[in-house]
Amino acid sequence: MKTVVVPAFQEEARLPAVLTALATAAPDFRVVVVDDGSRDATGAVARAAGATVLRHPFNLGYGAALQTGYKWALRAGATLVVQMDADGQHDPAELNALAAPVLAGELDLAIGSRFLGAGDYEMGGLQRAGRNFFRALLSAFGLRVTDPTSGFQAMNRAVLELYASDMFPSDFPDVDVLLCAHRHGLRVGERPVRMRKSPRASTLHAGLAPIYYVYKMLLAVWAASSTDRRRREGA
Amino acid sequence: MTSEERLEELRQLFMEAPESASTRVIAIVLSLLLVAAVLWLVRRRTLREEYTPIWMAVALGIAALSLVPPLLGWLTRAVGAWTPSSTLFFFGELFLLAICLNYAVRLSGLTLQIKNLAQELAVLRGELEEARALRGGERPER
Repeated sequence: MKTVVVPAFQEEARLPAVLTALATAAPDFRVVVVDDGSRDATGAVARAAGATVLRHPFNLGYGAALQTGYKWALRAGATLVVQMDADGQHDPAELNALAAPVLAGELDLAIGSRFLGAGDYEMGGLQRAGRNFFRALLSAFGLRVTDPTSGFQAMNRAVLELYASDMFPSDFPDVDVLLCAHRHGLRVGERPVRMRKSPRASTLHAGLAPIYYVYKMLLAVWAASSTDRRRREGA
Repeated sequence: MTSEERLEELRQLFMEAPESASTRVIAIVLSLLLVAAVLWLVRRRTLREEYTPIWMAVALGIAALSLVPPLLGWLTRAVGAWTPSSTLFFFGELFLLAICLNYAVRLSGLTLQIKNLAQELAVLRGELEEARALRGGERPER
């Protein structure tokens, strides 16, 4: 079974279009919307579009919503999961191309990258500096990824099992999670995708949030790298 | 008399100054109040038994220090403080720091447990709705 996991929080306006496009572009995929405790009709519009809805009793965060989808997919026996955002940032038409390397067994985890030629996604200066920094950090661990914050990914069960564990963060699963997958011997690669700018005002780019983000990521990367070593030595 | 000797003498004065009786009484009353508060909270089921030993120990510590004055004097010399009161503040703050960190650790564990529970609930409810839909007849709630 192939599954699309769409984490959604307060997305009643944008979600229907995404689900309609999904039904056309990927009719053989089971669509699971994780309603992260929305106070609007997110769950209802998803159900109306024929999606399976998993509803958090309260807001847990983007990462936790993704993980709920993974946990469901694992138990439902999914062999492939594609995750995409509910806000229309990702194009369902590109889903099959992203899933192809995982289905073919070339990759365990395929990340849809904005920065491999497709489309013309633009970033602000500070944002670009941050991305370059994390890129360099990952390549220091031997992982070449151009778009570590991409929420458009395809994965197989090996990745699902790792991502369903307690190491998976509730807020932003980015660099730390990729590094963890890489260090568990999973094959992580990228495919070019087009992305629209997220219509949401990003909470990550205001006030102290970017500073906290970088701090948290560094800490999580350090924890991910040292935990794996300990686990390996114990094994 | 050199200034060092004068300092040493001054320090001795500080150390030997008798604790005022009222301070000791207040400390003992405080420790009794702490014990009473802990017991009352346990009886009301507001505080779980496993969280009480630390506060009982604190009450015991306060009582011991006020009932046996040499104890505090010895401790003050051991840490190189000038006055018994600064020794108390020092250890008091150290204790608060440690217990706050301990609670942050417990909170982290609880956060993870609550997240996992909520996810389990969402997944189970999803599976239940699906099973009901498959069985037909009954409409899934909401």
